[in-house]
Amino acid sequence: MESTFYNYLKKKVLVKSEHLPLLADEVSKRVLSKGELLLSEGQVCKNMFFVEKGLLRLYSIDEDGREHIIQFAPENWFLSERDSLYFGTPSGFFIDALEDTEVVVFDQEFVDRASEISPEYRTYNEYILQNHIRHMQKRINLLIGATAEKRYLDFIKLYPDLTMRIPQWMVASYLGITPESLSRVRRGLSQKNPE
Amino acid sequence: MRTVEIIVPPREPHFVGDGFRVHNFIPGGYRLDMKRMDPFIMLDYNSRHYFPPSEKPRGVGVHPHRGFETVTVAYKGRVAHYDSSGGGGVIDEGDVQWMTAASGILHKEYHEESFSKEGGDFQMIQLWVNLPAKYKMSEPKYQAISNGEITKYALPDGAGTIEIIAGEYRGVKGTASTFSPVHMMNAKLEKGGSAEFSFPAHFNTGLLVVEGSIKVNGGEEVPTDHFVLLENNDTDFSIQAVGENALVMVLSGDPLNEPIAAHGPFVMNSREEIIEAIEDFNTGKFGHLED
Repeated sequence: MESTFYNYLKKKVLVKSEHLPLLADEVSKRVLSKGELLLSEGQVCKNMFFVEKGLLRLYSIDEDGREHIIQFAPENWFLSERDSLYFGTPSGFFIDALEDTEVVVFDQEFVDRASEISPEYRTYNEYILQNHIRHMQKRINLLIGATAEKRYLDFIKLYPDLTMRIPQWMVASYLGITPESLSRVRRGLSQKNPE
Repeated sequence: MRTVEIIVPPREPHFVGDGFRVHNFIPGGYRLDMKRMDPFIMLDYNSRHYFPPSEKPRGVGVHPHRGFETVTVAYKGRVAHYDSSGGGGVIDEGDVQWMTAASGILHKEYHEESFSKEGGDFQMIQLWVNLPAKYKMSEPKYQAISNGEITKYALPDGAGTIEIIAGEYRGVKGTASTFSPVHMMNAKLEKGGSAEFSFPAHFNTGLLVVEGSIKVNGGEEVPTDHFVLLENNDTDFSIQAVGENALVMVLSGDPLNEPIAAHGPFVMNSREEIIEAIEDFNTGKFGHLED
């Protein structure tokens, strides 16, 4: 049976068929129960994760115990704590599973080796990294200057099915607003578009 | 006389999907990168291979192409293909399918159903012919060329037949239309029969021995499944079948000499165009086709 990661390499990254087994067989899998932590604050993050099934979240907890969600990673997304992973610093973030989740686990060595074997992997890896930066830049811009409504609309465009899978307070945390403000935004939108 | 630069043996085969067991000559072969045989930028050769009967047709699922043409030459077995423009058909033994992917197409190829159920010998060439920059984003199209439609030239003294898929042989024009000067022909030689060819010296020229074995300019014997890269030092050369009948794919093309940026099934001129292709593919602009 071809795994989701194998199909991702084949159908999205467009890795050449002769290189596929060299890449797809080099990674390990991990199964997580809902709520299980993949990374805690203070640990050094050694891995990147590709979500085959389920949902991961990257977040921090401030001095007052409030959670701030940086990123969600549903199926076919990558997630890592890039500061810790690349610079080897103790992580300031947590990664946990919001659903029963299956991930492919790989490290920077895999990325380096895969990039040498497959030019397609190398190009695509750079593309998703640049795309990630593009999204972060847009997110910062929205957080600084946009209305909560605009931020919410951007969220549902980026994560179309996530509002059905996570509690409202997590959406609010990602948007940097209170759950009450999110309710007002949603009410306002439903009055504009009754459907 | 145009001399032999190198004889390239077939590399270890690998599977494309589960239906094509291919030796890659271009761009993986020794000295055969995308530039050396420009405008021929990819050559996969499924040497004769027996596939046992299978209920579920083997093949390659949905995949995109942009920026070039794919040419499939069927020697043994039959392939059914479908694409995102609603087109499809069967490539039978002796037929050629010339698909201009150009601005982009999704397609899939499988062993044709009845061939798959019976099993049998399978032997094919798939070639990618690069498109000049100005045609890379033109409309996709097909040329389905049945064997009967391929122009044939009978060699003197019963030496054999030249099937002119594209280009020209002794004033006889080939069947397929091309976007740049390309000669593509099957030379079918009787035992001992020979044929002479003449292409401009700067045309990149190569031969794939599909059946039998040959001598080029009376020199060293080249066995089945080997590729001969010819020098760009002269125009004329000859091939001769030794031992038994031979079938040789003759390729010669005017190099485009344009920059090549490639990402798997996308072949463009710049990195920006490759990123654009990746984004267009990711956002569904290549259309839709069920696996």
